[in-house]
Amino acid sequence: MTKLLITEVTRMGPAFCVIGLQRDKEVIHSVRPIPSTANSWLHFPHKRGDILECSLVPFSAAKPHIEDRVSTQGFRKFAEMPEAEIVNWLRKAEVSSTLSGLFGCALRENKNGSGHYVMPGEAQRSICGCDTQNLRLELCANELRATLVLSSGEVLRDLPVVDHNWRGFVEQALGPERGANRMNRLERFLNSQFHYKILSCPHHFVRLGLTRPYHDVCWLMLDTLFPLPKPEWFEEF
Amino acid sequence: MVPPSLLSLKLRESRVRIVEECFRREAGASAAMPDETVDLIETGIFDSMAWVSFLRGVETASGVSDLGSALNEQPATLASVFAALQTSCADVSVQDDPAPEMVRPGSGKLAFITGSSLRLGSRVIPSEEIDRAFGMPIGKLRHRAGIESLAYASDGENELALGAKAAEETLRAAACGAHELDWIIATSETHHNYPSLVAQLHSRLLARENCGALDVGGACLGLVNALAVAQSLIGSGAAQNILVVTADVHSRTLTPGRVKGEFGGLFGDGATAFLLRGGSGGESNFGYRLGKFLFGCAGQYAAAIQVSDDLEGGLAVQFDGDALSRAAIARLEKIIRAVELRSGIPRASVGHFATHQPNPRLLTLLAKQCGVSPDAFPPICRTSGNLGSSMCAAALHAALQNASRLPLAERKPIFLASLGPGLLFGGSWLSVGHQ
Repeated sequence: MTKLLITEVTRMGPAFCVIGLQRDKEVIHSVRPIPSTANSWLHFPHKRGDILECSLVPFSAAKPHIEDRVSTQGFRKFAEMPEAEIVNWLRKAEVSSTLSGLFGCALRENKNGSGHYVMPGEAQRSICGCDTQNLRLELCANELRATLVLSSGEVLRDLPVVDHNWRGFVEQALGPERGANRMNRLERFLNSQFHYKILSCPHHFVRLGLTRPYHDVCWLMLDTLFPLPKPEWFEEF
Repeated sequence: MVPPSLLSLKLRESRVRIVEECFRREAGASAAMPDETVDLIETGIFDSMAWVSFLRGVETASGVSDLGSALNEQPATLASVFAALQTSCADVSVQDDPAPEMVRPGSGKLAFITGSSLRLGSRVIPSEEIDRAFGMPIGKLRHRAGIESLAYASDGENELALGAKAAEETLRAAACGAHELDWIIATSETHHNYPSLVAQLHSRLLARENCGALDVGGACLGLVNALAVAQSLIGSGAAQNILVVTADVHSRTLTPGRVKGEFGGLFGDGATAFLLRGGSGGESNFGYRLGKFLFGCAGQYAAAIQVSDDLEGGLAVQFDGDALSRAAIARLEKIIRAVELRSGIPRASVGHFATHQPNPRLLTLLAKQCGVSPDAFPPICRTSGNLGSSMCAAALHAALQNASRLPLAERKPIFLASLGPGLLFGGSWLSVGHQ
């Protein structure tokens, strides 16, 4: 059995992708449990910070998703860890302060519009953590996007935000029960309090990931943003 | 004057062209345009990434910067995009608009380049000599970068001397006295002394005391920045005659022992000057009219080139040549695409591309990437090296000179595109002034 600390739950459409940290002697590395018949989960009953016991089988996953492991049994919750401690462990796993270090290859920009991608054969991994000097979330035509600047001063724009918690927070913020002018209020929050809450948080940390190859390239996404959103923040906007 | 209804029609046509082009970039060149009311995401024509990418493309091409925000709570349809463009305060360029001043604020004056000049460092040094000086294998600059020789300043030449010579020649050619100047705008990536370059030029040229003097930065993007400022001053009515000067002397800064030859060996010395005059577009004998500008900063490339002073009084240079080359080509092509779309001028009908020229090899690659003849890029850097803020400027001067040899009717538009560390970028276009 393997012990896995769940560090990210991401969502694209109806599917969930889960990534956790596994300790292999002194090395902490990311592992992506997947069902035997698909790359993602339609239902995942656990949350970030859960430490799960599970049975994972390595297989020769296509680059760059080398972290994939097939889950052969159900997950059993063993314990759970607070948010700040998760980040401590994430800092011991895959991290980079530069763009080229994120996935071990050069990033390319979309010539047509926005977004960055890597060539699947060039990338050495599909997930990496990083510190940011600054970060902004915005709604662009109803799509949640992140722009951030790494410690190196390099900027990434228009990253799709697939963090399940943050997407859920935004959806809830725009829910009809929230009253009038929801979009304006959310935008105001993202442009003001959000910025302070995120950047002043001692365990502010970001994990970036790569999509599965789509039209022969893997696009960059913002998989996880720490701190996670708090329900009480809804009272502020 | 053009009737407002005709102008409105032209704006609508321009928006349709931009939206269609950006749509096809994302959906594929052969994709049929969907009905304006079709939801592009729900029908699977775009996924969410392509939808945002498409909108960013429209933003860049149209100059409307807040499209994404304007489309929140709107369906992902072309009708929503057109409606957001319609309500945006930014105006979409209409290149063929016979009365473009109708959509311009201020005095409505257009900015024309009516004279230009180039002064290169007077010492021509074969690139092999530079290889040797930097301790590089002989032939490296020629074979790897395509540089045959470099223009280096002689003992009596510096930024001020070269810039003043270029300025005097420009004023003389345009029959404009220095006392007629309302502003002098200077840019240099090598002159860091005070009084600043523009202050020294102001005195050297004996401009009026109340002629404004402004230094602008941007390094290799300096000329485009300076032209944009000049155009704004003319358009607002604050100025009628503006002299823009670029001047760079790299050979005294990027020296052997201070920087590596793979970086320092690429640069030469030179200066340019341009006279800009305000006009309505109806005057004869006016030169090229400046179009609209687009600017930005592609911060993902910030680490490719960084230069700072070190503690010992030297230069700390971080230069990832491969990364910078890739970034420069990708970004210059992107600027050219954006200028093409915003101006409505197909690249095939452009006479010259006055771009930043990192080195001749990359210039050839850029021409290939853009699908245009390399002959459309004046090959300044092959014999003078990269001239910094004067590079794009030298190419523009050469393009203007070439055009001036042609009958007016045969002169073609010129595209401007340049880059600076950061990675700052900017572009514009010049079209022949109306007779």
